[in-house]
Amino acid sequence: MRIGLLTEGGYPYVSGDARLWCDRLVRGLAQHEFDVYALSRSEHQEDEGWVPLSPNVRRVRTAPLWMAEDDEVVLGRRARRRFTEYFGELAAVLCGGPGGAASPAAGGVPSAVGGLSGGAPTSEADRFANALYGLAELAREEGGLRGALRSEAAVRTLERACRAPGAHRAAREARVPDLLAVAAHLERALRPLSLDWYEDDGLGTVDLCHAASGGTAALPGLLARHFTGVPLMVTEYGVRLRTHYLNAPDAPPAVRSLLAAFQGRLAAEAYERAEVVTAGNTHTRRWQERCGADREKLRTVYPGMDARPFDEVGESPDCVDPYTLVWVGHVEPAKDLVSLLHAFAEVRKQEPTTRLRIVGAPAGPEGAAYLGHCRTLAAQLFPDEAEGPHAAGDNPVSFEEIGGPELPAVADAHASGAVTVLSSVVEGFPVGLVEAMLCGRATVSTDVGAVVEVIGGTGLVVPPRNPRALADACVALLRDPQRRARLGAAARARALELFTVEQNIEAFHGIYLEIVSHAPVRRVLLDGAGAPLPFAVPAEAHVPVRWTAASPRLAAAAGGGWVAGKPVRATTPVPAQEGA
Amino acid sequence: MSDLGELDRPGSTSRRGAADPVKALMHRHRDLCERAVDPLEIAAGLEAHGITDRTAARFRHRDVFSLAEEMYARVSRDGDTPLPAPPAPPRVRADWALSTLLPGALCAAAVTAVHLTHGQPRLLAAAAGALAVALGLRAALRRGPLSRTDTDRPGPRPGASSGRTTPWTLWLVLYTLLGDGLLRNALAGGPDTLPTGTPDGPWPLTAAPVLALALACAPAAWTAHLLTARARRKLASSRGLEDFAAAMRPLLLGTFALFLGALAALLALCGAVLGESGASAQALALGALLFLARLLTTHGFTYAPAVVLTATAMAEAVGLASVFASRLPGLGFLATPVETLVTTWGAGSVPTLACGAAALALLVHTTRKLTRASAHAPSEPAR
Repeated sequence: MRIGLLTEGGYPYVSGDARLWCDRLVRGLAQHEFDVYALSRSEHQEDEGWVPLSPNVRRVRTAPLWMAEDDEVVLGRRARRRFTEYFGELAAVLCGGPGGAASPAAGGVPSAVGGLSGGAPTSEADRFANALYGLAELAREEGGLRGALRSEAAVRTLERACRAPGAHRAAREARVPDLLAVAAHLERALRPLSLDWYEDDGLGTVDLCHAASGGTAALPGLLARHFTGVPLMVTEYGVRLRTHYLNAPDAPPAVRSLLAAFQGRLAAEAYERAEVVTAGNTHTRRWQERCGADREKLRTVYPGMDARPFDEVGESPDCVDPYTLVWVGHVEPAKDLVSLLHAFAEVRKQEPTTRLRIVGAPAGPEGAAYLGHCRTLAAQLFPDEAEGPHAAGDNPVSFEEIGGPELPAVADAHASGAVTVLSSVVEGFPVGLVEAMLCGRATVSTDVGAVVEVIGGTGLVVPPRNPRALADACVALLRDPQRRARLGAAARARALELFTVEQNIEAFHGIYLEIVSHAPVRRVLLDGAGAPLPFAVPAEAHVPVRWTAASPRLAAAAGGGWVAGKPVRATTPVPAQEGA
Repeated sequence: MSDLGELDRPGSTSRRGAADPVKALMHRHRDLCERAVDPLEIAAGLEAHGITDRTAARFRHRDVFSLAEEMYARVSRDGDTPLPAPPAPPRVRADWALSTLLPGALCAAAVTAVHLTHGQPRLLAAAAGALAVALGLRAALRRGPLSRTDTDRPGPRPGASSGRTTPWTLWLVLYTLLGDGLLRNALAGGPDTLPTGTPDGPWPLTAAPVLALALACAPAAWTAHLLTARARRKLASSRGLEDFAAAMRPLLLGTFALFLGALAALLALCGAVLGESGASAQALALGALLFLARLLTTHGFTYAPAVVLTATAMAEAVGLASVFASRLPGLGFLATPVETLVTTWGAGSVPTLACGAAALALLVHTTRKLTRASAHAPSEPAR
């Protein structure tokens, strides 16, 4: 199979998000070929270069999102009219106002994204899709839309949409700088429309598009699906829409409202068109459902972790000190170490010999300040203590970092204690917890983020910000070594079952096969004379073996009047890797 | 996440017996609620503060989304959104302010050198002066409000493509320097000698307009700076695109008039100092043309200036060529239009007419293009 991997600011760039996951996926599925289509996010990212590519990466095509390459495209009158029509439709959908005559009055919809949930008017989504694909077709025919999207006509169209009756409140208040800002952002977001990736020698040759994140990365996949019928699959380990809300720059409400509407519509369209949408955890899945993803398309594929570094510790469950609690992670306020220290004070009342090791480096300046605060608190709560009158004492709470001679690796940190504690108040996917599980440690964690989902029944969970409950759980485990061992073994088994790289890759492999079997790309292969070639796509095409090199080199001719769709060039023999 | 004290504590609210826990929650997250443009934004914000579906259950909601929806619906949004702060005006920087004075100073030095020397040294002085002025001009146009690539520059960023305007500009300036004398000589049957570099020879050199044009770089930069600053303020304060266009038109014409006034004053001054009179109308027209062309170019419209400058230079060249061509047998009629013009209004009328018409055309074009908001859009953010 040939898979088009679509990324935005990610793999194969060294500083990309999720590059580790993508790299493991590509290397893990060595029997398939990957074409990587990467959108870079900044000049800095491009300068840093790529990670070493796996040999089954056939080609890498990149396009910058941060730079406007000037196209010399000047639209003719007819193209201009079409542009205004489509862009006006797009703007009308974003403003929540009624657009063309065909659409019913949608004045009751309070906000574009708010209306997405539940019984959202499908006509709105259709209008957005029509406008988007209309613009994409125009960009494909004219060779680029960057100039048009930045032109006065675009700003004027936006203004008309914002002032139209039925436009929602924030849009109506848009002033001229807001309109310009929205136009600039939309131009940026729609840059994938002007790329030349959708031809028969680009995304047209792949069997499946896999967008490594939602949002902009899924846009090329949507267009490829529109132009050549390549099935799309979207994987989200963090919801792009949610990231957009959290990271949105401080702008006037009109700008934020229109851009949020665009991102929401784009996400909904991607979920709608994708064959399968995968989520990294239940939380992501809930957001996807909320944004309109069909429940039947959703699959949860947990992030995979490399279990090997933890094997040694996990297989030998005897710990250094049965009276030590360990906390591992990046020190920052969201981890609520203050609660942990108070809980530890409670634990000390019941088990005076207990020690607490806090292992981790501060995250950023805020984390450093927080770490200082925690050190002070620990010194106040727990006086230094010594074994006898002639020995030097030390504090029962120690702050350490990984990488020293005592704790060379994360696994050693977990190994040094009997119980691993997680005291966060905010958490996404708790990587530290999975590490502790892989080490076969009994854990006590707070009920935040995906903790319950990850731990299942193999550890104790207490409410967040409840030091007494945390302390009671810790004491219960400290006093019961057999329970600790049972929970640790169960946790390790669970983690090996669910959170390893192998299961992650296997899950994606299964999904790939499922998609290709359910939605194969129907390519009509033509011979030199332009007549259709029967049996040109062998049955093995849908079997996961290398078959691409065996296909005959065929020219796509323009003829074939009886063919409904556009004939597509057969996959050509493997050329040398581009730029790799 | 910076302030953990603000994190919600639903347990404590119920302990204190709050009748409406959501209200207390909204009070705690009032910034988030007032800022939000839709319920999902509140949901994202609440989650970032550690509120989960299990917390939401204590507010009698199924999940965070429905809690956020209630909060979004209940938040009062009657206050008008405050006007955004006026944008920072483009900075006046010493480097461009000084570099715009460079062409004028170099040109003055070159004219002085040409006046003080004779023979071979004069030729050298003229060549060196021309080179120095060209380099000075390059420096002046590289930074500041007249630059095409300045970071502070408004408008869409033009790409590498640009109309080739430099040769035509050079030709127009050269014509101002030598053209009138050449035309007069040509009509009289000459020219018999090369120009000597003096204003009173048989092929006179009119240096005053060129000096005035070089000096006018500074007022041009300042008026362009003024236009940018004012346009930015107008952009922030206008409600619609029509308002903005209506506000920009007088501003644009005022700026143009200001530049013309400054140029006229410089022309009078230079004429008085160098003892040359006349030729001010054509220099004024040329100055206006070049100013408008540069203004359009800096705002990203490179096509029209290139076309108009080319056409103007061509018109002047055709005027000259027609006079020379009329000497061929049977083509005597070719010189008639130029001859009529010159005998009626003098030799300066040819460039005045050409540049004036071109400047007028560009002025009309400018009032159409630069009154658009998209021409004054802030440039792309840093990479």
